[in-house]
Amino acid sequence: MFTGRGSEYFRIWVVNLLLTLLTLGLYSAWAKVRKATYFRHNTWLDGHVFDYHGNPVAILRGRLVAVVLLTGYTWAFQFSNAAGLLTVATLCAAGPWLFMRAQQFSLANTSFRGLRFGFRAQAGEAYWTVLPVLALWFAPVVGGAFVSVETWVYWTPTFASVLAWPWMHHRLKAYQRRNAVYGDRDFTFTPATLRFYGVYAKGFAFVVLGAILAAVTIGAVFAWWHRSGALLISSRIETWIYGALAVLAFYVVAWPYLAARLQHVVWSRTRLCDIHFRSEIKARPLLRIVLKNVGLSILSGGVYWPWATMALARYRIECIRIESGVPLSTLAASLAAQPVTAAGEGAADAFGFDIGL
Amino acid sequence: MTTFSGFRFDGRHAEAVPVIVHIDEGELIVKTADGTVDGTLLDRDRLDRVVVSEPFDRAPRLVWLPGGAALEVPDTNRSFAQQLRRSGVELSLAVRLQQRWPAVIVALAVIVAMLGLFYFKGLPATARWLAFSLPPRLEARMGEQVLGVLDKHYMRRSSVDIERRTRLANRFALAAAATAPGVRYRLEFRAAGNDGINAMALPGGIILVLDGLVRFAGDEDAVLGVLGHELGHVVNKHSVRQVLQSVGVGTVASLLWGDFSGVAASVPVVLGMLSYSREFEREADEFAIAFLRSQHVSARPLYDFFVKVRRWQSRLEDGQVPDFLATHPSTDERLDRLRREIR
Repeated sequence: MFTGRGSEYFRIWVVNLLLTLLTLGLYSAWAKVRKATYFRHNTWLDGHVFDYHGNPVAILRGRLVAVVLLTGYTWAFQFSNAAGLLTVATLCAAGPWLFMRAQQFSLANTSFRGLRFGFRAQAGEAYWTVLPVLALWFAPVVGGAFVSVETWVYWTPTFASVLAWPWMHHRLKAYQRRNAVYGDRDFTFTPATLRFYGVYAKGFAFVVLGAILAAVTIGAVFAWWHRSGALLISSRIETWIYGALAVLAFYVVAWPYLAARLQHVVWSRTRLCDIHFRSEIKARPLLRIVLKNVGLSILSGGVYWPWATMALARYRIECIRIESGVPLSTLAASLAAQPVTAAGEGAADAFGFDIGL
Repeated sequence: MTTFSGFRFDGRHAEAVPVIVHIDEGELIVKTADGTVDGTLLDRDRLDRVVVSEPFDRAPRLVWLPGGAALEVPDTNRSFAQQLRRSGVELSLAVRLQQRWPAVIVALAVIVAMLGLFYFKGLPATARWLAFSLPPRLEARMGEQVLGVLDKHYMRRSSVDIERRTRLANRFALAAAATAPGVRYRLEFRAAGNDGINAMALPGGIILVLDGLVRFAGDEDAVLGVLGHELGHVVNKHSVRQVLQSVGVGTVASLLWGDFSGVAASVPVVLGMLSYSREFEREADEFAIAFLRSQHVSARPLYDFFVKVRRWQSRLEDGQVPDFLATHPSTDERLDRLRREIR
């Protein structure tokens, strides 16, 4: 059960924002802790809530690392290919470790019934899992810097990374789940690569359909607009509008489907001792929520955002069912997790990773 | 004495032990709720040694005890919160602000005011300062990089005959020496697409002129005027300032509506939207007028050229609307300014 509400989260958001702006972004780490705490304290399972123990100073440190890495990634190729390659190499070298640490930080700082979750972090496994994913991810970027867009050298890696995306996503999810720990019990995860491909294939079909529909509509609108002689709309702005609409269309149409189906697959394969999980999330209600969120957020100039966040979180959390033969309280527990630094947590936040709880 | 019922977790087992909590003379006392009158004493801690979670409308209060145990105290009627306040447990400033709607509304107003100030004053000033204190080599490198990409994917060599190019370059050099002494620039002639009509200023003083512009304008004085306009962008470092401003907007937007994850997404989008602001165009126009004046060249050919481009615009293909005219609702205003100059 999730008891977070938009009107309350809105007040938290506003105050966090004010303090973040007043401190030139430094407060954002404390803001993050307060937001994470709000989510955990309002998530109920079996009559008790989750808890969060993140240390804001550690998060701040992590965020500084993330800003440096991100700035490097955004600008390096603008200056020179060597600088760009250096950044990519740094990301590849540090990425798996940061990803692992991010998982560890987020899980080890979450507790339920006084017991911490955890993440078994072994550098070797992290590199083995994440490096192929990173290599495929950066191949087009690196290729684009050296050869012209038209050649096969550029398109092959791009095409390959698109084809391999479900495999990469599954690899990361499986890594996250099979290494998660609650108290002294391990989570297990049954691989489901093919299911991932199935979901993505159907999602892709939806995107193509949606894209064709959107292109026809937008094209018609613009054709009419031009004929009516509206002047001075530059091609750049048009491209930008096309791009923004495409992204929005993808988010509104394809994301709910993918998120719903993948959450379903991932949870049904996750297990903790005798506890099974089930996700009853459905694409259509999720689509309705996302449509409403996007629409109202745009109409309200962004003020609806906290309500949107709550509505989405509430639906996603309340759709997860837990089936267990034994009461949770009979689980014996090991001692508290070891302290971790948050360098990875900040960086993972910046690149948009999450465990999808 | 008011007591509160809740649960205690020892941090070693997942078991939830029902407990009775009460506060007495600055101490938090936790006893088992096993039905006996008093119950067994589990904890007795001074209030300043325990940490109590932030109050939320529908969440229980969590109390972290020094020994590693935690309490979960449901508090739907806020009586536990009141008792804590009476016993001297202070709430943080942030919590006190967010509990009051009027304070939240004021905070929102302050945020909007700060963002407005930042967007209209702080950001342009910072970007200007940064642009002028950036090492020239860095800026030149950015320009070369952009030119390299354009050359690789979109541009061909110029086919305008060499005498004409040299003549233009010489006249440009004279006027530049008079109006912008000491400013580094480099004139590059290129051809693109189906004779695209365009000219642009890249970082590091690279001024790019497309054959289509030279041919379409016909009159050399008009081309000189457009080049003067572009030199105006160079002198004022508009391209770098624009990039810096978009990065600033992207960063703030992601602070508002995402965590940092937005940064990664928004920066490229904003960078792709590089078009000069109305203010920048006006500055460049003013510069172009002074530029022409210094060579005693009339602004009329430039004006005529702008008008001609506008008339042709509706018939031009997509992507052929020149940058120096496009994206601005104030083209009329700019033409008016030129007309005044001619008189």
